[in-house]
Amino acid sequence: MIKFDHVSKTYPGGQQALQKVDFHIEPGEMAFLTGHSGAGKSTILKLISLMERPSVGNVLINGHNLNQIKPSQVPYIRRDIGMIFQSHQLLMDKTVFDNVALPLIIEGYSRKQIQKRVSSALEMVGLLHKTQQHPQTLSGGEQQRVGIARAVVNRPPLLLADEPTGNLDPKLSMEIMQLFEDFNQAGVSVFIATHDLGLIARMKYRTLTIKEGRMIDDGLAEGQDAFLGADDLNQPPITKLPPKYTL
Amino acid sequence: MSLLFTERSGASKVRKVGLFQRIFMGGINHFRQALASLGDLWRSPLATMMTIGVLGLSITLPSTLYIMVKNTEKVTAGWEDAGEISLYLKADTTATQAKQLLVAVSLMTTKIDDARLIEPEDALAEFESLSGLGDSLAYLDKNPLPYVLLVTPKIDYLQPDAAKILLQDLEQQSVVDFGKLDIEWLEKLYSIVSIAKDIVWIVAILLCVSVVLIIGNTIRLNILSQRDEIVVMKLVGATDNFIRFPFLYTGFWYGFLGGMLAWMLVAFLLWWIQTGVENLAGLYQTEFTITGLDMVALGIILAISISLGLIGSIISVQKHIKEIEPK
Repeated sequence: MIKFDHVSKTYPGGQQALQKVDFHIEPGEMAFLTGHSGAGKSTILKLISLMERPSVGNVLINGHNLNQIKPSQVPYIRRDIGMIFQSHQLLMDKTVFDNVALPLIIEGYSRKQIQKRVSSALEMVGLLHKTQQHPQTLSGGEQQRVGIARAVVNRPPLLLADEPTGNLDPKLSMEIMQLFEDFNQAGVSVFIATHDLGLIARMKYRTLTIKEGRMIDDGLAEGQDAFLGADDLNQPPITKLPPKYTL
Repeated sequence: MSLLFTERSGASKVRKVGLFQRIFMGGINHFRQALASLGDLWRSPLATMMTIGVLGLSITLPSTLYIMVKNTEKVTAGWEDAGEISLYLKADTTATQAKQLLVAVSLMTTKIDDARLIEPEDALAEFESLSGLGDSLAYLDKNPLPYVLLVTPKIDYLQPDAAKILLQDLEQQSVVDFGKLDIEWLEKLYSIVSIAKDIVWIVAILLCVSVVLIIGNTIRLNILSQRDEIVVMKLVGATDNFIRFPFLYTGFWYGFLGGMLAWMLVAFLLWWIQTGVENLAGLYQTEFTITGLDMVALGIILAISISLGLIGSIISVQKHIKEIEPK
């Protein structure tokens, strides 16, 4: 699903964010990306969502090389990727409904379809009763769930999350993670960048670790888990192939 | 539509968005965006009114000047049609000679529309009645006025240059003392009108450029104030066009509303000037109404102002929407 092939990224000004990063996430897999702040987690997500381009190497999604994507095609790529951000990136002057409907309006769905899909997305995250409220009247966890509903509303095959639980307490974090598990079980590939190691330890999914721009552990080899020091990850990676993808 | 997941695009044909629906929803979206842009303007009435005011006034000035020039042309065109050549015959010309000349001139049918002879007695009588010098004229021992032949040229010879040539022609006649074609002042008037026209064009061009800049800048501020929203839209896969259109509609509305305001202002100004013009016309014993502010003028003003609004917003949108990218 996501394949990094000797990817390096140097930002203008000489800061080397990634050095020869290689990894492959299978379709239907759920995986974590972890590392200290500034290690390069965000850069990896930005390369996948085409907010940045690699300096060297190739990023492939579903076998398509993103280097061959023209700037005018970028919006269409992003429609296939549900993105969730630590800062939610919600429109504060629009209702919850309008926020979640935005990707569908952009894709030109009819009013009826939008109504149906937004309702089902909000139902999944448990916010169906808050459709007409504005995001600032919601709690942090609820705002994050609105962001998740927006990410999944057009049923993308791939979900990317950047510190989705960054501002949340452990209980809410766990709820959010369970949502991701649900989507994963429905066949969606999920890739989550987080530094919440406790959470990762409880989840027992494949974990990729990045340090100073280098992939020091791609979560596949056993017994090299220096960063986490946990036995949990010595289990074989959970790689689910998608069952029939329905939401 | 999916570029990455071909199985997804296959599915989309069946259950997601068909071509017809895409076009139909595209139309609906445009309508929705146009209304939404109008709504945005409505929600910040003061800023909107100030912008529209500037546009309206900028368009009003050249429009008013243009209509004034048009009306001046109409008036002078009327004068031109009435153009006549007066041939003053020599003082010793006899009535027979004068009649012969009248016949001769009348026969020049290619150039002359009409010719009329004014007897000295008639001329004196007319002078007496119009000048109010009736009593004093009685002291003259003989009529000092000569025979006068009034010649109305054909339309082709009404233009100043052609009329001059005709005049020289007529002055060749032996009994003619001199001819008079009072077109010099007309020529002066024409050149003044043509300068006025040039000034209207210059003012119009300058103000149109300023309208484009004003709208461009207003749209730029709109774009910058919605920066966060644009970033979010780009993140969830909005194309540049999708983001662009609301701002183009804003430019459209600015142009439309500015044009309407300009039309109303022009109507008001002309109504105001009309009183003065009527007084002036009254002094010349004529009636004159300023015309030109009809539906066609409204259409032209609106077309120009909407184009200016669109040009301004297109320039701004092309430059700034690209610059805003999610980081």
